[in-house]
Amino acid sequence: MRGNAWKFSGILDVDWEICSYLLVRQLADKGPVTEEMLGEHCLVNVDPDFPKKVRKGDFVVAGPNMGYGHDHDHASMALKGAGVAAVLCENSAPYFLRNSIDHGLPVIELPGIMAAVDTGDDLEVDLRAGKVVNHSRPGHELTFTPLPDFLLDVLDAGGIYPMLKPRYEGSAGR
Amino acid sequence: MGQTIIEKILARASGRATVAPGDYLEVTTSCPTVMAPHSAMDKGAGLITEWNAKIYDPTKVMLVDGHLGATASHGAAEKRKALREWAATVGVPEENMWDLGRSGIENMVAVEQVWALPGECYFQGVNGHISTAGALGSFASALSFGTAAYLLRGVNWVKVPQTIKLVVTGEPRADCTPRDVSEYVLGQLGPSGAVGAILEWTGPYIDALDMEGRFAICSQALFTGAWTAIMNPDDTTMRWVGERIDTSGLEPQTSDQDADFAAVLHFDVDGLTPRIVPPPQRHEIHDLKDYLGIKINRGFIGSDANGWLRDMNHAARVLKGNTIAHHVILNITPGTPRVLKGAVASGAFTTFLESECVVPTPNEGMEWGANTPLTDGDVCIASAQTNYPGRMGGKTSQIFLANPAVVAASCIAGEIVDPYEYFEGK
Ligand code: SF4
Repeated sequence: MRGNAWKFSGILDVDWEICSYLLVRQLADKGPVTEEMLGEHCLVNVDPDFPKKVRKGDFVVAGPNMGYGHDHDHASMALKGAGVAAVLCENSAPYFLRNSIDHGLPVIELPGIMAAVDTGDDLEVDLRAGKVVNHSRPGHELTFTPLPDFLLDVLDAGGIYPMLKPRYEGSAGR
Repeated sequence: MGQTIIEKILARASGRATVAPGDYLEVTTSCPTVMAPHSAMDKGAGLITEWNAKIYDPTKVMLVDGHLGATASHGAAEKRKALREWAATVGVPEENMWDLGRSGIENMVAVEQVWALPGECYFQGVNGHISTAGALGSFASALSFGTAAYLLRGVNWVKVPQTIKLVVTGEPRADCTPRDVSEYVLGQLGPSGAVGAILEWTGPYIDALDMEGRFAICSQALFTGAWTAIMNPDDTTMRWVGERIDTSGLEPQTSDQDADFAAVLHFDVDGLTPRIVPPPQRHEIHDLKDYLGIKINRGFIGSDANGWLRDMNHAARVLKGNTIAHHVILNITPGTPRVLKGAVASGAFTTFLESECVVPTPNEGMEWGANTPLTDGDVCIASAQTNYPGRMGGKTSQIFLANPAVVAASCIAGEIVDPYEYFEGK
């Protein structure tokens, strides 16, 4: 994966900074909520132009406790909908990490990432090798322990449901 | 090297002898799973019918309508109907449907029914506050977006967390609730003080606490970035459990003295005064005295932090013989039918009516704006869990979080006040 970095510091709460929960509820009252719909509002409480500026395949780089707050998964949808390919953070709130992986959005906990990357840097991320290369700072490379295979399979499939569908579809025989 | 209670539970649940923080495991449990109509359909339940797929065990699914309550908004009627149809299709038995009349806040119903068993994993659909059930000595976690995946497989994945041990000593001021102790400790830890960890609450303060207070404390773990909370089962725990279910066959676990904790932190709460959380940041916890005099026009008492019987009685102590200010609406929502019945028996319920409060049917209450919502410009003092803009309705409304005595006294005064005079020397 290769793309540009968008760096955010401070706490990013799933229900406010990443994507307003009030907005999700208002949208949900009108019908199904999609990743694309939420992507238009991704991180606007921190950077109002983010959804317009971010390009498909870019990375969000964040500090400690990324995705703080409730276990609401709309934040993972918003990031995906905005085109974010992966989140690289110092560490992650556990529900945000779980929900994101189940949605097919990689979240990589990588201490030192904030110091190693600036907004606009050209990054290359290899999930299986456990490697982040910052091409804007030659010689800068960070490594991490890759996720276990059963979770890499979830990411490869684009999420837990695309992965389970072929296995379980029709199993009730109703 | 000894093991923490969480490591022992996860080792049992994954069929291993031992586990260590950082291990990725696939785990199972004999506990049922709770789902709620407000979110079940969009969190994958719909996929099960769409795919014509089989649930691993439909008798293990409990459908508890805690969030909607008697609201007319949020598409409640349609969601309730859709869930009933779903249950019939996938084979969830009628008696597993906890609808209006016997429903309440999902976490609270789950611990009252002891669906979360000491020594086991307990998984619930969407709801990070299920850490509440950790007070029973269970590893309690939400499944969230992974709910349907669990229903299909009967297997969940976890990354073994680190454990942070909290040791609490001292006796807070009489107008505090366990919530204030929890807020104080969370404030000290900060929002990133325990990212991904388990908070293991211990110490003389916890040992002396009743189960309701323990549940309330455990309910707030996620505000430190922690995954969930847990307490070691003791006589108080096993009495609560034994009054409700057959305890033979249970295997409660406890942490070893020499277990490997990521940190052991001590907190002295002696003489602690009530806390307040002003909007909009959930993790900025202050002393009530810094916010006195702010005019309010709305109040709410309820939620899994303060919707317990002990909280109803706490509020009634302030309200008895007083009425709330005429420009204020105070919504007091018991968390479950058990709490409501207890409030009737204790006289708290009559006090609420005499004080001119509104007492809706047990549910999450105003917590997420599903009944008596706020609108623009409202200022609310609430014993809820969260205060971010719009949580209870109204984009420019403001929510201050505090315990039921603070809420009750402030609603009488029409502004935020210190409730201590109602407790002093009594
Ligand atoms: S009471 Fe509030 S915080 Fe607790 S589960 Fe219900 S809505 Fe969530």
